[in-house]
Amino acid sequence: MNQTMGKVWCSLLFLFLFFTLSLSSSSSSSPHFEGFEAEYDDDDDVFQDIDPSSLQPINTKLTPNPSSDQQPNSPPSDLPNPTPNTFTDVWDEDEFEGLPIQQQQHHSSNPDHIPTHPKSPNNSSHSDPQPPNSSRSFTVEILCGSFLIIFAINYFTGKKENENIALSWAAQFAAKDSIFEKNFSLLGIGDGGDDSPLLLKEGQTTFKFYASGRRYCQGLLATLELKSRHDLIARIYNMIVPTRDEISFEVYMNDDAMDHVVFAMSKKKAAKAMHKDVRDLQRFATLLTPPNAKKWVSDDLAVVSESKEVAADLITDAVIDQVFGDRAYEKVGKGLISLHFSDQHSGIHKKVLLFKFVLPAASNMADMTRLVALVPYYIDLIGRYKLSSQARSKTETARQKAAQEAQRELRYAQQEAMQRKKAEKKKMLEEAEAKLSAEAIRKKEAKERARQMKKSMPRMKMTRGA
Amino acid sequence: MSSHANDPRQPSAAKPYVAPPVSPQDLPIDYAGFIAVVFGIAGVMFKYKLCSWLALVFSAQSIANMRNIENDLKQVMMAIMVSLGARVRLREDHGFKS
Repeated sequence: MNQTMGKVWCSLLFLFLFFTLSLSSSSSSSPHFEGFEAEYDDDDDVFQDIDPSSLQPINTKLTPNPSSDQQPNSPPSDLPNPTPNTFTDVWDEDEFEGLPIQQQQHHSSNPDHIPTHPKSPNNSSHSDPQPPNSSRSFTVEILCGSFLIIFAINYFTGKKENENIALSWAAQFAAKDSIFEKNFSLLGIGDGGDDSPLLLKEGQTTFKFYASGRRYCQGLLATLELKSRHDLIARIYNMIVPTRDEISFEVYMNDDAMDHVVFAMSKKKAAKAMHKDVRDLQRFATLLTPPNAKKWVSDDLAVVSESKEVAADLITDAVIDQVFGDRAYEKVGKGLISLHFSDQHSGIHKKVLLFKFVLPAASNMADMTRLVALVPYYIDLIGRYKLSSQARSKTETARQKAAQEAQRELRYAQQEAMQRKKAEKKKMLEEAEAKLSAEAIRKKEAKERARQMKKSMPRMKMTRGA
Repeated sequence: MSSHANDPRQPSAAKPYVAPPVSPQDLPIDYAGFIAVVFGIAGVMFKYKLCSWLALVFSAQSIANMRNIENDLKQVMMAIMVSLGARVRLREDHGFKS
């Protein structure tokens, strides 16, 4: 599917390029200088007016410069011979001798020679603006044409670059004896065969990796969002506004395997933004202040969680040592964007773990091994995790409240929709009535008119009869 | 760091990947195609050559960013047609008037 798409794609691009090139080449060969149509018309008139015999001396006047290079032996005073070699190499002197009509055509197709025409002084006065004008018109074409060519080259190289990054990621983490191979029984988007593709390509920048068949979760979907390397314009734009290659893991947990957990961790600024923007964090969670007594995550990171208990249980000593602690964070922290675990996710899957990381360059994919190892670690941790009964009652009331609110909102929305429908119906009825009444008025008027006509008719008769 | 004593894999629980349905409305807007159409129309209206060339460039970008060939082809083709139309119009006006 992907391959055929790519093929269609390539052929389209080729066709398109061919089209452009042919257009640009033909446009550069054909004389289309802005504002010079009138001149050509003039020239044609001039040529029609000229007696063919009078053209011959003109020709000799034109020839000396080029012919002096090519034919140093032929003197410029060789009047009766038109020396047409200067125009085309295939010109047969003997065959076309004394046929000035042919030369007219040459003249009209060779605009460079026209200005030197001694019999058309109008043209020579016009000839001055021609060279800058023509060069300007070509600069646009040359610039845009070369940009298109570079664009096409960049498309293929950038596409290859992105594919290399995605493939090296897959080779590092989804090949034999890798993290995902050891944790999931089904890898890739196929149905589990040996040569089923691991990655699903969507467009030129998005790659998806799917895995399933593990305890506590239904599946995992990793989405690699790469830079638009294939797009030259986006590349130039990214020089001003830099972006990163990102990968996000979505783990869909089993419904019975995840307790009430709302938890997020990110850099301080991003955590605040997440707390504001993400709905379940906004509703259930608060921004936690780091506890003094305990070993905690690096100062750059902020934790948003439903309760301190959840946060303390999810940030174990192991992850502090490996990833989030001060010392480890210096090494691997730049690859972390955010973690977000929630049992109240909006969407089809409610219980979702979200991990967002920065992808390293294709050659050092192993740098993010520790981060990727967080994914199965947290699946197990949260799959086994049970809240204490005290915290549980708290979260339960919060969820009930939220559910009630949601229900109320739903009911409210339904009511509003009903009311809107009613109002519409009413409006329709009123309109129909108005139409009806308008029709009734019209009928009445018509009747009245008829009556008046009737009244006036006999009078007419009388006048006629009189 | 990984704390699995036994194999966490469960082949029986494996579910094959089901692509979520994507409606044409949810696709990101094709800005490049839109810009191409705008430039193409401007090129035709004002007979300004740079506009029609830019239209071509942006329609190339819009092709390059095509995600789903079935969904996007219509938009992209429109952009290409308009920009090529602008080029052809220009050529006709300037080149073949006589």
